[in-house]
Amino acid sequence: MVRVPINILVVDDEEDFVEMFSLRLEEMGEIVKGVNSGQECLDVLESTDVDVVILDIKMPGMDGIETLREIKRRRPITEVILLTGHGTTDTAVEGMKLGAFDYLNKPADFKDLMEKLEGARKRKAEQEERIRKAESRSLMRRSGNLF
Amino acid sequence: MSTEKAVKVLLVDDEDAFRQALAKRLERRRIEVFQAADGKSALEALKAFPVNVAVMDVKMPGMDGLETMACIKRDFPDTEVILLTGHAAVEDGIAGIRAGAFDYLQKPVETENLLNKIHQAYDKSRHQHDLAKEAELREALEKQMATAERLASLGTLAAGVAHEINNPLAIISEAAGYLQLLLKKDECREMPFHDRFEKAIEKIEKSVKRARRTTMQLLGFAGQPDAVYREIELDDLVEEVILLAAGQASAAGVTVAKEKNPSSVTLWTDPHRLRQVLINLVSNGIAACGRGGRVSLSFDSSNDWATIQVKDTGHGIPKENLERIFEPFFTTKPPGKGTGLGLFVSLDIVKRLGGDMQVKSKVGKGTIFQVSVPRLSKTCPGVCNDIDWRDKARELERRDNHGTGAH
Repeated sequence: MVRVPINILVVDDEEDFVEMFSLRLEEMGEIVKGVNSGQECLDVLESTDVDVVILDIKMPGMDGIETLREIKRRRPITEVILLTGHGTTDTAVEGMKLGAFDYLNKPADFKDLMEKLEGARKRKAEQEERIRKAESRSLMRRSGNLF
Repeated sequence: MSTEKAVKVLLVDDEDAFRQALAKRLERRRIEVFQAADGKSALEALKAFPVNVAVMDVKMPGMDGLETMACIKRDFPDTEVILLTGHAAVEDGIAGIRAGAFDYLQKPVETENLLNKIHQAYDKSRHQHDLAKEAELREALEKQMATAERLASLGTLAAGVAHEINNPLAIISEAAGYLQLLLKKDECREMPFHDRFEKAIEKIEKSVKRARRTTMQLLGFAGQPDAVYREIELDDLVEEVILLAAGQASAAGVTVAKEKNPSSVTLWTDPHRLRQVLINLVSNGIAACGRGGRVSLSFDSSNDWATIQVKDTGHGIPKENLERIFEPFFTTKPPGKGTGLGLFVSLDIVKRLGGDMQVKSKVGKGTIFQVSVPRLSKTCPGVCNDIDWRDKARELERRDNHGTGAH
C-alpha cells in the first residue's frame, strides 16, 4: 500500500536546521516546506494546505507560542508539534494547553518525531472526517426541508 | 535582688589559707569560685568547668603563673587571666601583661580592687566571645551566600550553554540522519566506501546522543520543571526506587533491597525530584559494586526531618575524590559513560527541597549517602499557594502521634 505523505511545514529561525530537517523528512516521503519565522509560517498557511506544523518555540520576533495561538485562531484544524531547545517543559505544556498536539526536545529522537507526526496527522484526519459528516448531516436536513 | 552568679572565677594559688580566704570573700560578693592549688590542676579544672576569668598567683611551684597562663590562652582563648604578684614584683606583672594577662594586682590584694578587675575582665571576655561568635556566623553566612550566588550564576550559564549547544546539535543530528537515509537508497548501494560512511555516521549519531544527555542534565540543573508537592509515604517511594533500579541491578548482579524500618514516615515534598535523587544514588551504588554486591536503602525521621540512607558495598571513594564528587563534571567513569552531573544535580535538588546531603566512604568497604529533607518542604511557596501549611502540619503530627503512641 502506498503511504499518503504528510504535508509538513517546518518553522525555525535556524536556517541550517530547517534545511537538513526538511531534506530528511522529504527522504522519508513527506511533503515539506520550510520557513524561518512565525510571520512566514502564517503567510504560507494562507495559501497552502498543511497537515502538521513543526514549530520552534524560541524565535526572534513572533515566538513559537504566539505563532501557535495565531495558527489555532485562523486554522484550528492544523496540527502543531512544538520543538524546544530549552529543555524546560513549562512553555511546552503551555503550548499544549493552547492546542499543540505535542512537543519534542531538540535534538529530537527521529523515531519519536515520526510517531508524533503520524499521531498528529491521524488526529487531523479524524477531525476532518467528523466535520465532513456533520456538514453532510446538516446538508441533508436542509435539502430535506426543501422538499 | 537577683541571685545570679553569672561570673565564674578560677582561683589559682599554692597557699591554701590565702586562697580559701579570698574565695570566701569573692563568694560573698556573688561570684562563683573554683579553686586550684597549682597550674596543672588549674588546667584540669578549666577543662571541667570553663570560666570567664582566672585569678592566678605568679609564683607557684611546678608550673608557674606565666607558664600556666600561656596554656590557658592557648586552650581556652575566651578566658581572661588576672595575675597576682608578690609585693614590689612589678616586672612579673608587666611580663604577664605582655604575655596576654588582662591585668596584674600586687599582694596583699584588696577585695574591692580585685572585684573591679574581675568584672572588667569578665566584660572583656564576654565581648570577645560575642565578637568571635559574630565573626564565625558572618563567615558562615558569607560562605552560604557565595555558594548560592555561584549556583545561581552557574544555573544561568548552564541554561545558556545547553541551549546554544542543543541547536547546532539538532542540525548535526538531522544532517547525519539525512545522510543515513541517502546511504540506504538503491543508487548508493554500490558507492565506494559505503560501509565506512555508514560507520562514521553512526559515530556522529552516537556522539550527538552523548552530548544531548549532558545538555539535558545541565538544563535539569538550571531550570527544573515545576515542582509538584504532595504527601508521600517514604516507604512507597523507596519501593518505587528499588523497582525502577531493578533492571540495572540484575544486569550488574547486584542486590538492591530495603532495610527493615520500624515505622512509617510521611512527608510533604516533591516526590518526582526526590525519586530522581534516590535513583541517581542507587544507580551510582550499583555501578560501584561488583557482582554480588549490595545496595540497601533505609530511612528514618526525627521531628521535622526525614533522612534516607543509600548504602553500598562497593569499592568506596578515595579521600581525595570525596571532596570533589559534588563538583560539576567530576567523574571517574570513562569518557562517554558518566556526565559528572548526577551528584551535582542531586545535591542541587536536595538543597531546593530545603535539605542537605552527606557522604561517608571507606575504600574497599563501601559508601553511605545520607539525604535529609524537611518533612514539610516549604521551599516552593509559589507552587503550594492553595495549601494550608498549618493543616498539613497538624495532620502529620496527628499521624505521628497515632503511629507511635506518644503524647
